[in-house]
Amino acid sequence: MSLKDCYNFDDFRKLAKRNLPAPIFHYIDGGSDDEATLRRNTEAFSKCDLVPSILTSVGEPDMTTEVFGEKIKMPLFLSPTAMQRLYHYDGDKASARAAEKLGTFYSMSTMATTSIEEISNVSGGPKMFQLYIHKDKGLTDNLIDRCKRSGFKAMCLTVDTVVAGNRERDHRWGFTTPPKLTLKSLLSFATHPMWSINYLTHEKFQLANVSHFTKKGSSIAKGVMEYINEQYDPKMNWQDAEYCIKRWGGPFAIKGVMSVEDAKRAVEIGASAIMLSNHGGRQLDGSRSPFDQLPAIAEAVGGKLEIILDGGVRRGTHVLKALSLGATACSFGKGYLFALGAGGQKGVEALLQRMHDEIRRDMILLGCKTIKDLKKTNIAYR
Amino acid sequence: MGLKDCHNFSDFRKLAKRKLPSPIFHYIDGAADDEVTYQRNTEAFNEVDLVPNVLRGVENVDLSTTIFGKKLDLPFYCSPTALQRLFHYQGERAVGKAAQKFNTMFGVSSLATVSVEEISSMIDTPKLFQFYYHKDKGLNNAIVERVKAAKFDVMALTVDTITGGNRERDLRTGFTSPPKLTLSSLISFAIKPMWGINYVTRGKFELPHLQDHVKEGTSTATSVGNYFSTMLDQSMNWKDAENLCSKWGGHFALKGVMSVEDAKRAVDIGCTGIMVSNHGGRQLDGARSPFDQLAEIVDAVGDKVDVICEGGIQRGTHMLKALSMGAKACAGGRLYLYALAAAGQKGVERALNQYRVELERDMKLMGCTKISDLSRKNLRFRK
Ligand SMILES: Cc1cc2nc3c(=O)[nH]c(=O)nc-3n(C[C@H](O)[C@H](O)[C@H](O)COP(=O)(O)O)c2cc1C
Ligand SMILES: Cc1cc2nc3c(=O)[nH]c(=O)nc-3n(C[C@H](O)[C@H](O)[C@H](O)COP(=O)(O)O)c2cc1C
Repeated sequence: MSLKDCYNFDDFRKLAKRNLPAPIFHYIDGGSDDEATLRRNTEAFSKCDLVPSILTSVGEPDMTTEVFGEKIKMPLFLSPTAMQRLYHYDGDKASARAAEKLGTFYSMSTMATTSIEEISNVSGGPKMFQLYIHKDKGLTDNLIDRCKRSGFKAMCLTVDTVVAGNRERDHRWGFTTPPKLTLKSLLSFATHPMWSINYLTHEKFQLANVSHFTKKGSSIAKGVMEYINEQYDPKMNWQDAEYCIKRWGGPFAIKGVMSVEDAKRAVEIGASAIMLSNHGGRQLDGSRSPFDQLPAIAEAVGGKLEIILDGGVRRGTHVLKALSLGATACSFGKGYLFALGAGGQKGVEALLQRMHDEIRRDMILLGCKTIKDLKKTNIAYR
Repeated sequence: MGLKDCHNFSDFRKLAKRKLPSPIFHYIDGAADDEVTYQRNTEAFNEVDLVPNVLRGVENVDLSTTIFGKKLDLPFYCSPTALQRLFHYQGERAVGKAAQKFNTMFGVSSLATVSVEEISSMIDTPKLFQFYYHKDKGLNNAIVERVKAAKFDVMALTVDTITGGNRERDLRTGFTSPPKLTLSSLISFAIKPMWGINYVTRGKFELPHLQDHVKEGTSTATSVGNYFSTMLDQSMNWKDAENLCSKWGGHFALKGVMSVEDAKRAVDIGCTGIMVSNHGGRQLDGARSPFDQLAEIVDAVGDKVDVICEGGIQRGTHMLKALSMGAKACAGGRLYLYALAAAGQKGVERALNQYRVELERDMKLMGCTKISDLSRKNLRFRK
């Protein structure tokens, strides 16, 4: 099996599973507790159907959409994800270059393994930075100021991770960062020699953005969950969010908003966007899926800020359903991470191209010429 | 597989399955008829989703809750379950001490294998005694007096076992109390020698609350279903419950109330709490799940008595959902029984701790710092 055999999410996932040592694959693939929310995030899209309009002389549909003050070529972009260097030795560089090529946003996690400065050297595409507020407030200012200097276009603050989710697959596989060998995982690393060779022969693993502030996760093998619980600030509140928005001064999203009340509050404090998200089912299991919650959010704050639907997106039709119900754009994590694990930059490009083609084809089949044509009337609930 | 590999309910269940002779495992694990209600008890939680609130500043979470006038550190407690020394030689001693460690309530069954006197000298955490209403009125009176003398805090009368449920797994495995060897169970006891050795060497098996009055279950092997059907009083009615309530004179609950009508009636006879429960799916198969029924009950009597949601709970988030719906506290049997079978007191402690940690984490992720922050505003039902 190779990249050219990968037609969809499942194929990329399968190939990534072959390439990656098990603890790493399961870190990407897993959710919290019983993974009920993880499953629901995607299943939710199947609870409604698309109703096409015919004979609308679509021609070539225009898929461009504006988000965070930038025109992007398709209404789907890369969510921020931690430690990409573990999934492929090119890590964030591969993702950023692929996103640039397809004309959409790449997002960088606070927990990235490549630095802000390095990424801005390798990619001129639109970039968003994802902020985690650490107990050490100096780090927040430092990250914001560096992103400004490095030409990042947007920033988001993740608010659904005040404490680490219960990712039981990571307990079982002993996943730590950087990877630590346990008896059980050893076998898995040994049977994926290419990954191990690449990991060891390329640049050193580090949490490049925070390594000057904390040794945790860079030099000491730490569970991600321990890192979160020790370093992130559980006291984080709306004032902190407002502070970040002001200091940044540009397009700013709150990532992980789910309730209508909070969405309204995001408008009040001056956020330009929210990412409707439960962190891909990795945090609070039993949490509602973004797609299920979308209509209520769109009704309350649609038009007042941009709504990014984040979580469970696997298909072009998922994107179209979300846009029809009021999302400005969608973002996804696992979708491109498996492609990264499957084939680095080439893999992510192939995946983004497939998603691009799906969205284009499905817009034609739906009879929509532009993103604005996607409306509630295209959707019927069962 | 050891205790340290147990990260959740199903891990404990798996380890218990390895440790226990199969008739005993299936006695815990099984339920009535087709086990539809048993499955639904847990599934019901999946049809409602949580909607968290963010940026609330959630550094310190207080999980304490007050039921029956007692403050517990946790919003859940251990439901009374029978025959615990069959599951692990430490039996009720293990569960009681673990409950004490987490300062939550310990429910003791009429069919307990350690006496109320011993339990109350051993722990001072709040204690509930679960009452089975026997045909023998002398026995009923004697038990009330003993439990009073032992200074228990709450009495709960179980009302859903008027006759034995049809537990087909027990029929197949030939489960009786005390264990009687049949051909098919023999093999199972033989391949779990540690269980057998502990059972035989760690003190005689007895039902201390009943043994002076009945020989069934103590010296004569009987199935639990058979015990219910022959020993318990099928003519038990509201008058009897009311009499028992006033005879007891303290906090009193009915365990196994499902209808709104009955819940109201429980208030009328002087109950201070009810357990919305179908006995873990072990009695009437097809009965509604406690969580499905909870909202109606809370709406009807939630401001008058403590409503406890019992059954099917396997996760902290399940408890959050029940508490958001308006339950004062949650309770469960299997949530600690597999852990007891897996590793005695250490096992129960690990399980209770996991639920505590889950609840604390989930409260933070919900943006809540105390139990009273939870409300129906946090819930959305799927259409
Ligand atoms: C392996 C992995 C790492 C992630 N790391 C981060 C992170 O560092 N910061 C963050 O805000 N979200 C992180 N996320 C969540 C994603 O940004 C996104 O919300 C989620 O993946 C969306 O769900 P999806 O994977 O179903 O598309 C991560 C997700 C995955 C799968
Ligand atoms: C093995 C076992 C024994 C039980 N014994 C009793 C009992 O003696 N008296 C009683 O009122 N309930 C008894 N129950 C029911 C529990 O109190 C409780 O209602 C039930 O376990 C809740 O469902 P859950 O196991 O899904 O949490 C028993 C349950 C189990 C699993």
